[in-house]
Amino acid sequence: MARTLAMFTDTSLCIGCRACQVACKQWNELGAEAPEWTGTYQNHAHFTDQTFRLVRFVEEPKPSGDLAWLLMSDVCKHCAQAGCLEACPTGAIYRTEFGTVDINQDVCNGCRYCVASCPFGVVHFDDGSGTARKCTFCNDRIHNGLGPACAKACPTDSIQFGFRDELVAKAGKRVETLKGMGFKEAQLYGADTGGFLGGLNAFFLLLSKPSTYNLPEHPRLPQRNVVVDSLLSIGSALVVGLGAIVSFRSRGKGDGDA
Amino acid sequence: MLKTPHWEMMIVWYFFLGGIAGGAYFTAAVADAFGTARDRAVARIGYLVALPLVVICGALLIADLGVPMRFLNMLGTFKFWDPMSIGAWALGVFGLFTFASALLSFSPSPPAVAWRRKIGLVGIFFGFFLASYTGVLISNTALPFWSEGRLMGALFLASGASTGMATIALILFLTGGAGGEGWRKVKQADRYAIGFELCVLALFLVLLGSAAAPLLGGRLAVLFWGGLVVVGLAVPLALELVAHRTAALGAVSAVLVLVGGFVLRYVVVMSIQT
Repeated sequence: MARTLAMFTDTSLCIGCRACQVACKQWNELGAEAPEWTGTYQNHAHFTDQTFRLVRFVEEPKPSGDLAWLLMSDVCKHCAQAGCLEACPTGAIYRTEFGTVDINQDVCNGCRYCVASCPFGVVHFDDGSGTARKCTFCNDRIHNGLGPACAKACPTDSIQFGFRDELVAKAGKRVETLKGMGFKEAQLYGADTGGFLGGLNAFFLLLSKPSTYNLPEHPRLPQRNVVVDSLLSIGSALVVGLGAIVSFRSRGKGDGDA
Repeated sequence: MLKTPHWEMMIVWYFFLGGIAGGAYFTAAVADAFGTARDRAVARIGYLVALPLVVICGALLIADLGVPMRFLNMLGTFKFWDPMSIGAWALGVFGLFTFASALLSFSPSPPAVAWRRKIGLVGIFFGFFLASYTGVLISNTALPFWSEGRLMGALFLASGASTGMATIALILFLTGGAGGEGWRKVKQADRYAIGFELCVLALFLVLLGSAAAPLLGGRLAVLFWGGLVVVGLAVPLALELVAHRTAALGAVSAVLVLVGGFVLRYVVVMSIQT
């Protein structure tokens, strides 16, 4: 495996211009969608099959009574332990040599198990193609020495692309700087490979707690309970089986058995 | 925000009919292996019910895909830890078992009977798998109501067994076999299964805790309590306990069990839809 690539989205630098969202649409040839009124500048409310990058506009009430205006360019997290990839029964969802997660559109048969298995609600079913779709990490670009379109287009370097280890080191320093500036809740989300889901290959610097951005505080791999659930099902089978065996042996003993 | 997979009526029917197929096959195989010669009717009905249901199940699954022509892609991969992957394989393998058992159930010759019993005992495993893996599958997603209670698979299995037995009982009743030895045994086994299902359901709700909200307080709460708990479980169990010697009431209870089995799959699948 090649050295792991990553995207680092530093939300403290985001100005909400949505160049990333547009660049993503253009490069990936994603269709136009009817605008969705969300009450803020945010459009759409969630990722769709035609929106892989989405700038979130979050208003957080502050103790002073003011609102903090938080901007965050959200994207597929390319989890090191990816629920969608584990769920995929066709092998359409795969991990690239760079550590990113992509869906092979020629293999996906549209069973939609990945949609229910994403802890972040990223994967979306495309009615047109009949397949599941999400951010590809610009798989075609990174295999040709280019960064993802969103990172390329970002005018403030809020989205940075590079080797994961280098970006994590950089991000750590940035958190310290921000804390020194008074952003007490500045924190990294998904940078730690020892943390949840083995770390996210698209990780974030947030200015408030994850739930403020509608991100789960402790996302977990959906498949973590397969063994327990299966054993309990086997236990259930044994009880039901025993009941049936008792019933069928209970009467008619000595009737002869051909 | 989490997303729902938009598994709707086709999947509700698949979960329901897959449970019946697995349960009926299991009941048939137990009747075949542990019952007497007079239980053969039960075995034969069970095998013959399972086969067409498995075919319908496969058709429902394929029709629900975004690209149905690519259903074979599921069989190009084998991920033993992934319920969706081994589920597709198990459905296919179980189909072969139901076909063999149904075919052999037409022959009264001793070698055919001996083979049928052996095949049935192995096939039980796949029947149970089909009845329960759907529960394990949805309980290993990111959606809290589906994934927080650890007993979805166990519950589906108990319900599958019970609805399979109810289907056999109903066919016995309709073909004039009610009141016989096989009928009594199937009804007794179903009483155990219904009682067990009630216990599993209670434990499941406790384990779910606050994640049970879509079920207990959502728009389908009335259907859950009325259709499943009362009409689908409590009433048939009461009928079975007080009046199991009356064939007509036995048939009524079998119908109610089937209604309950369908309502269970319906409320579980549909209550998470947004």
